[in-house]
Amino acid sequence: MFLINCPFCGERDQSEFSSGGEAHIVRPKQPTELSDDEWAEYLFMRKNIKGIQFERWNHVHGCRKWFNVVRDTSNDKILSVYKMGEKPPVSYK
Amino acid sequence: MLEILHPNISNNNKNNIDINLSEEKIKINIRGKNKEFFTKVGKILSIILPSESNTSSSNENYDVLWLSPDEWIVYFDENKNSNIFDQLYKDISSLKFGSITDISSQLICINIKGENIFELLSSGSPFNFEKFKNNVGSSTQTIVNHIDVILHHKSKNNVNLFVRRSFSEHLYEWLVDSSNFV
Repeated sequence: MFLINCPFCGERDQSEFSSGGEAHIVRPKQPTELSDDEWAEYLFMRKNIKGIQFERWNHVHGCRKWFNVVRDTSNDKILSVYKMGEKPPVSYK
Repeated sequence: MLEILHPNISNNNKNNIDINLSEEKIKINIRGKNKEFFTKVGKILSIILPSESNTSSSNENYDVLWLSPDEWIVYFDENKNSNIFDQLYKDISSLKFGSITDISSQLICINIKGENIFELLSSGSPFNFEKFKNNVGSSTQTIVNHIDVILHHKSKNNVNLFVRRSFSEHLYEWLVDSSNFV
């Protein structure tokens, strides 16, 4: 269990949120031109690293807004929270 | 408007906690973000929508709770002004300035009051009530006993709790049961 600082509601318990997986995955502009492997790569393959990870979260039991989180998966420490559409903090890239 | 079928919730008083069904209330969900939307809502309700998170605005007729940056809930007694939904819908939804939805039948309002209400709510919620209980007018969306609720701190130690109709009796029973232990 950990606390997440929702950019809209403030600090809330993790149980109010739902994880939406890896962030910043861009949909290919021309999906029809992709091979099956490339499409599968986009659709299914996600990083699951031990360390700093960029994730999408949804405040499902609160404001129901999506936002991005930089989380260290080794200790569940939230390093940064930023809104959808914003660029990730350079320091964690 | 749909006919309101009341859930089986009776008045209860234990350990300085009063739990009552607080109907009949009209609840309207309003969504929008452009200038015309705010102007129209302000004009019709004579109220400024709260822009700060977890807050509310009130006047003699209406209570408006902040739900998210572009979403609010307005609630008021049924006998106050039953035409307000039609007015809002006509001036906002029809002209596509925003979205107005009557959710009176979706949500049930349970009024909880007394000295120990925040201990009761805390016992089933991950929400930190420290700031909430010291600020009359605070509102929040959270979970109580794993059920989504909207809470409005209406006056000191007096909270209006909005819950989906289908969960209302179960939550009421949990509240009554838990009030034995606070």
